[in-house]
Amino acid sequence: MTITARRQAQRPARRPAPRLATVLDIARVEARLLVRSGLVLAGLVAGGVVIWLFIHPVEPLWWNVAWEIGEGQLVLAMAVLVAAQLAAGRASRDGLADLYASFPASAGTRALGQLAGLAGAIPASLVLIGASAGAVELIGAIGTPAITVLAGGLLLVIAAGAAGIAIGTRFAHPLAGVLGALALFGISSQSGRFSGAVIWLLPWEFHQDDLGFIPGPLTGYPPAGAHATELAAFAVLAAIVALAVTVRAVRARAGLATAGIAAVALIGLAGAVQLRPIPTAALNHLVTESANPASAQRCTTASQVRYCLYPGFGSLLPSWQAPVNGVLAHVPARPGHTLTVSQVGTTSLDSTLTHGHPKRQVARWDAELGRAPAIVRPGSAIYLPVGSWPAFGGQLADARFNLALAAADWATGIPITSSNGPECVPFDQAREAIAIWLAILAAHPRASELQAGLPAHGIGAGPDIHGTIVPIWNFRGAVAGQVDPFGSIPLTTEAGYLLAHAMTSLPEQKVANVLKDGWSRWINVRTTDAQLAAALGIPMPKVPVPPTALVRRLIANQGPNIEVCGSG
Amino acid sequence: MDQMKVSTAAVRASGLSRQYGATKALDNVDLTLERGITGLLGPNGAGKTTLLSILATVNEPDAGQVSVFGLDPRDGAERVEIRRRLGYLPQELGYHRHFTVAGFLDYIAILKEITDRRRRADEVARVLAAIGLESRARTRIRALSGGMRQRLGIAQSLLGEPELLILDEPTAGLDPEQRLRFRELLSDLPVDPVIVLSTHQADDIAAICPKVVVLLQGQVRFSGTPAELAATAASRVWAADERDPRAHLSWRGGDSRWRHVGDQPPDGAEFVQPTVEDGYLLLSHAAGQR
Repeated sequence: MTITARRQAQRPARRPAPRLATVLDIARVEARLLVRSGLVLAGLVAGGVVIWLFIHPVEPLWWNVAWEIGEGQLVLAMAVLVAAQLAAGRASRDGLADLYASFPASAGTRALGQLAGLAGAIPASLVLIGASAGAVELIGAIGTPAITVLAGGLLLVIAAGAAGIAIGTRFAHPLAGVLGALALFGISSQSGRFSGAVIWLLPWEFHQDDLGFIPGPLTGYPPAGAHATELAAFAVLAAIVALAVTVRAVRARAGLATAGIAAVALIGLAGAVQLRPIPTAALNHLVTESANPASAQRCTTASQVRYCLYPGFGSLLPSWQAPVNGVLAHVPARPGHTLTVSQVGTTSLDSTLTHGHPKRQVARWDAELGRAPAIVRPGSAIYLPVGSWPAFGGQLADARFNLALAAADWATGIPITSSNGPECVPFDQAREAIAIWLAILAAHPRASELQAGLPAHGIGAGPDIHGTIVPIWNFRGAVAGQVDPFGSIPLTTEAGYLLAHAMTSLPEQKVANVLKDGWSRWINVRTTDAQLAAALGIPMPKVPVPPTALVRRLIANQGPNIEVCGSG
Repeated sequence: MDQMKVSTAAVRASGLSRQYGATKALDNVDLTLERGITGLLGPNGAGKTTLLSILATVNEPDAGQVSVFGLDPRDGAERVEIRRRLGYLPQELGYHRHFTVAGFLDYIAILKEITDRRRRADEVARVLAAIGLESRARTRIRALSGGMRQRLGIAQSLLGEPELLILDEPTAGLDPEQRLRFRELLSDLPVDPVIVLSTHQADDIAAICPKVVVLLQGQVRFSGTPAELAATAASRVWAADERDPRAHLSWRGGDSRWRHVGDQPPDGAEFVQPTVEDGYLLLSHAAGQR
């Protein structure tokens, strides 16, 4: 025997390296690559932007915002899917397949390592959750964070990553990952096409909007726990597919098949749970607190104004009181009846909520909601829908002006409630200009915002009042829907606004004295704009009259008749 | 005695055949490899890469058997054990361009199941030093020249001190100095591995390979020492002032005289010392593969 042969015979076979250690080492490298991935970083930023776009317009309600944060996670999930697919297809795409095939770590071990490396996507997801939650709390969130829903968003990211690896092990071309991400987005964005609880079976529900208008969380709805389970099972299933592509051993394949069946069964089970109807008791409670707000709302009276809010919404009170008090401070005399500012809960139940309930029951709920004060409007009240009050910025300023204008309408006797009747216009009524002037004093809107309500080309359109087109001043914020969601607040005329604008150029005390001296006259329905202008010593602003042809067309095209506002 | 020879061969292939469509890449190849360097010579398409990929357990033969250190690659567990002792440089190696040099080697070391982090770091440092890329450890691979990438490919094959080192055209793309350094590198390996390298550089073979195998048309046409291969051309290489049309191949040397290689030297020819290249050329011509 030669020396070489003896040495070979003496050399002990290497101890098999623990497979787990290799998997963990691969996972560590892959996780680090994922953490540093520009793609994931871009997904994180884009996800943050999407969440911001969703949450910033209105005061955030946690039971709704948690799902909206998930919509940002969906964007991150798309990026992670592409990054994971690129990682899984890296060896093949970079011309290293032969070299990798010569290593003791098998393709299955690599796939396992890459799946474990998806832990690298967790920090990005947690950063998104943390930053969003921080922003939501900073804005002034109502309710408490829904941990299960937030965790569901994290699971969505992991499941998308697993899907990316499953795709990448079979299809190395980068386009495969992009198509996978687009498919994920496509499926989720199509939720508007579905009705009923089916929407919760999609990776992430993108179009739900009923949650934003309910006055509190519904017990067990949406089915966040079951959805998180579904996503976890999807992640496992995708991982099994990724391993099945790479594993050759018959026993291992049999094990994977068994695990796959279990994952599919779990998805089915989680789906069945999500399709269960919302308990009748929970919907009864929702309908009751919306149709009969007094049963749930807490009312406080301040400066002779009654504010009624659902539990948990107390933080909105100061934001409401400021514009209302601002108006009241300048009103010489208040009307005899009390002003109520009240929240409005949901006014209808869509099929997502009523899924699985008998039609007769749904009809009963609809009938009950139809008797809600916000619909029947029995008294003098300003109704503010849940989930529509802006949190900050220009939209909050608009909302405050709207609320101030509604309070000023009440103070000047312009009707702010009518029982499902058509909206009215205080045409050539001095009280309209006074109301706008009061609202401007109370809410201090930006001049540019006010001017933006004027017709773009100087010639405005509006309703036909006794054969005359009355140009309307459309305050931009009026379409935001913060005040009165039912479209029966009075219209504001261009003439009224221009007169109010002219009043703001006068010394405030001078206007106040004129109004104080003849308040009952000024708020009389028959007192005209010209009379007020004359009393103030200012010329009546001219409103451009639309050309005859335009008038004819506008009259022909206009909808239901709009009446001149009477007494409030 | 024959039985002893068989049992001591580190790598043994017998009756290997591999076919791609109608093309026979390997045709009943028998081969034994001992510790030390074996050079594999052959023209493009001779089956070198196929043979090396089978030895590296990347490909499977259609027929025949391979034994590496007494292990059978057809058995899953034994195949893994072979891979644990293997260093492989494929002919066309790609790279993860966005990885750093050290990062790439670390990743490969993980795939070679070097799980101890300190040992892995030491190994990466060792092979980087061996190929002279220490200063490029943090450089992205996309920033490396072609020669540097080839050296990186060699470096990855050395990770883990493999007992079987399979190098498919390792000197392609290397400049003359790097080729000499490569020879030095193989000579300085800390263990005494079985090394098989394919190359078109006959002078590399002559310089560092105690054994050479010539593969032509998928068959082993020669197996012996470089001196024996050169000796096959004895009395068939001659010099002359004019070009001799009887030669298979002629070229003018630096001294302006013609060097001829052929089977029919003229009477009174001025024979010169044959080289490995000459022996290979004559074998190749005989096989009709020029």
